[in-house]
Amino acid sequence: MITQPQTIGGSTACRSEQPLTYQPNVDICDLGAEVLFVADIPGSRADGIDVTFVEGVLSMHAAVPPRDLPGRVVRHGFGIGDYRRSFRLGDGFDAAQISADYSKGVLTVRVPRLAAVRPRKVEVKSA
Amino acid sequence: MPTFRQGFALPFDELREELDRFWTTLTAAPPLHGWGVRPADGVFPAVNVRESDAAIFIEAELPGLAAGDVDIVVAGDELVLKGSRPEICPAGDAGEGPGTGHVTWHRRERGTGAFERRITLPVAVDAAGVEARLVDGVLTVTCPKAAAAQPRKVEIRSS
Repeated sequence: MITQPQTIGGSTACRSEQPLTYQPNVDICDLGAEVLFVADIPGSRADGIDVTFVEGVLSMHAAVPPRDLPGRVVRHGFGIGDYRRSFRLGDGFDAAQISADYSKGVLTVRVPRLAAVRPRKVEVKSA
Repeated sequence: MPTFRQGFALPFDELREELDRFWTTLTAAPPLHGWGVRPADGVFPAVNVRESDAAIFIEAELPGLAAGDVDIVVAGDELVLKGSRPEICPAGDAGEGPGTGHVTWHRRERGTGAFERRITLPVAVDAAGVEARLVDGVLTVTCPKAAAAQPRKVEIRSS
């Protein structure tokens, strides 16, 4: 079971100075041998993204640099700021083999299951 | 006596899912400095429009798309963004290893498939001069204003 634990933000001391933080839209698909987390994080860079797995909690934080376009805003459809989201995973995942890839504004994190808990198909032999 | 739709386990699964949803609602509390609000949720792609004296700038979030995946058409005072966003997770039977013949979705928030968004521009633009670039899922379209739409300083003649 994958749940979403509380995300802890910045301190109150710098509340007014910090830009807003956004929760990225995420797909989570379970392939049996591994679980894929796919997050929309446009405008970031691979070296600005932290993915951690601590005590069963997978966390992703992406820094998004400001984009300074000239002119005045005439239509505001989205805000720009960092992305942050965490998920609590159950036991049975191989933390050492977690991999992450950032391409075209999409972060893909692969969390493999330990071999011992992977689903296995048992072949039925005929006598 | 209540009847179960598909066996005994389902009512408990549904209850667990309800509790999961409730828990997610409780624990997705905003950080102390607050979650950003995305007013364009449900509309794809989200778009910001800016205007300077010389041009209109359109910024759209298109994560997962490459430059060749998006068509941009400017006609009159309308700009159309059109394309299709591919699925990243493999389809049903693409799981690896024994016993993984299917995909289980735990969460599906990203949209995929064809999209089209029409944006009405605030002024007429020079369609021949429109430029676009797509970097890390962010599309920026620069539309130079038509000459007639650009601000013009009127000289005052002295008689």
